Amino acid sequence: MNQASRARLFKEYKEVQREKVADPDIQLVCDEANIFKWTALVKGPSETPFEGGVFQLAFSVPDQYPLQPPQVKFLTKIFHPNVHFKTGEICLDILKNAWSPAWTLQSVCRAIIALMAHPEPDSPLNCDSGNLLRSGDIRGYQSMARMYTRLAAMPKKG
Amino acid sequence: MESEDEMAAMMLIEDSNDEEELYGDDDDDSDLDDVIMDYDGFMDHESDDSDDYTSPHNHHHHHHHRSQNYTVLNEDDIRQLQEENITQISTVLSISRVAAGILLRHYNWSVSKVNDEWFADEEKVRKTVGLLENHVPFPDAIELTCGICFDTCPRNRISTAACGHPFCVMCWQGYISTAINDGPGCLNLRCPDPSCGAAVGQDMVNKLASVEDKSRYNRYILRSFVEDNRKTKWCPGPGCDFAVDLIVGGGSYDVTCRCSHSFCWNCVEEAHRPVDCGTVAKWILKNSAESENMNWILANSKPCPKCKRPIEKNQGCMHITCTPPCKFEFCWLCLGAWSEHGERTGGFYACNRYEAAKQEGVFDDTEKRREMAKNSLERYTHYYERWATNQSLEKLSDRQCQPESQLKFIIEAWLQIVECRRVLKWTYAYGYYLPEHENAKKQFFEYLQGEAESGLERLHQCAEKEFQGYLNSEGPSEGFNEFRTKLAGLTRWAPLKLPLLLNYSIP
Repeated sequence: MNQASRARLFKEYKEVQREKVADPDIQLVCDEANIFKWTALVKGPSETPFEGGVFQLAFSVPDQYPLQPPQVKFLTKIFHPNVHFKTGEICLDILKNAWSPAWTLQSVCRAIIALMAHPEPDSPLNCDSGNLLRSGDIRGYQSMARMYTRLAAMPKKG
Repeated sequence: MESEDEMAAMMLIEDSNDEEELYGDDDDDSDLDDVIMDYDGFMDHESDDSDDYTSPHNHHHHHHHRSQNYTVLNEDDIRQLQEENITQISTVLSISRVAAGILLRHYNWSVSKVNDEWFADEEKVRKTVGLLENHVPFPDAIELTCGICFDTCPRNRISTAACGHPFCVMCWQGYISTAINDGPGCLNLRCPDPSCGAAVGQDMVNKLASVEDKSRYNRYILRSFVEDNRKTKWCPGPGCDFAVDLIVGGGSYDVTCRCSHSFCWNCVEEAHRPVDCGTVAKWILKNSAESENMNWILANSKPCPKCKRPIEKNQGCMHITCTPPCKFEFCWLCLGAWSEHGERTGGFYACNRYEAAKQEGVFDDTEKRREMAKNSLERYTHYYERWATNQSLEKLSDRQCQPESQLKFIIEAWLQIVECRRVLKWTYAYGYYLPEHENAKKQFFEYLQGEAESGLERLHQCAEKEFQGYLNSEGPSEGFNEFRTKLAGLTRWAPLKLPLLLNYSIP
């Protein structure tokens, strides 16, 4: 099993080298020493409060991959209903029960970018953020999210 | 002992011919009914008294009627029913058996529901359950890339569902095995491609899964037929593999499984006439849950005024010192600090504050509640004890019932005892919930209950104690025929009061 997941990850690794140019929003990097540990840098989608920010994700891939999903969390602080504010844990169906072995680390990154643009306030890990959206306070949500993007996801000026 | 058994065996042989002719066609009746029918045959043969005949026969009808609204199914019966349903859908909709199975499972094995939905909007149904109208042809190439391991494989190592998304056999095996190990959700397996949703049916599983996984999958399908079906339930009897199919709305929910376990089909607790399922649930909660413990604490203890831990005063004076680390000293009567007690309050041992309040008729709310809780607890204990006694006797009867080679009228007597005990047991739960103010109703109910108890007690006494005498004696006893007449009479007499009790308690 470990052999199969290793082989599959190696294929993904090679694919990532080729696709680097194809998807400029995602930069997937494999740990030099351990093929089961990856990090990714994703760009905040445009026309969202995360625009202009770069967010770091940490992947921990299980031995049964791709039959079991990887564990992913945000390393960069983010104010989003489906991301735990303290731990960076992500609530996303494809990382849990809706996982399919046809997904890749690359496509998981794409799904996370889509989640950033389309939050699900009804299953919140960050209740404050979810409540702002549920009560219709879009402006409040956007300014909080933008503030944290500035504070945590943008290079410091000067 | 042995000679008695032989005698029993001889009587059985003598009667067996008649029974075959009379009842041979009643194949789907449960064993319990068979026992009762055998008994009827036996009675016919032994005495030609027509009065004797009618009474047990009424009883027979009673059971027979009840067995008509349910059927006990073993594993083969279940599979056969399942196959019949699949054949029916497959024929009517002209689809494969695998597709019919997927449809039926999705609509909880209701043939009519599948038909309705299908003919209302076939396209929508196909989409929901993932049944494609046409198989997408296999990509025409010598080698294909598996969508999971991304290896390039020769065509013969690739397999697809109806949608044509190619995955290699190894990855299919891993995918199917992971799903089956995740539980019954594997029955809704779809193509691994996230954008697809085509159903992966039993044919794929049979082709690709290991022997062990296949048998687990088949088990899940069988369980689904019983558990998702609105008409069928597993018998909750310990170690029992039978299911009971009920015609809902056909009367009583009490059913008796072939394993001899009697239960209420609706709530799956043991059979509990005359009380309804709601009362049973309340009663069981009461017996198991913390609620009575809470009442006990309320009735027999007071909280320490400082640390609020409950204290039970079982002896000693009113000067209470709470256990360390609290060590608060207070008066049990008024719950005030002991340091304030003295000459001023009328002396240490005569807390006049409490006495004064009582004399003035000021009823403390807490005190009143405590008093009521105590009454309610005593009441509950009374009813619980009687309920539990009937329960233990019922168990004893079950055990005694084991050697079924004994004479049939004795089995019949014990079956009657079990039945009566069960009904009586639940009348106590009913009595507990009878409103306190309906005195006349309660009195009459308890009178009937008492009558039923005494009749049953006599039957029980005769079946247990007197029977023991005949068991221990060597060789045929002289009074045995009289004993038979007596026991048979008591057997018929004991349940006579029950219908009254039952009618009475069902509003």
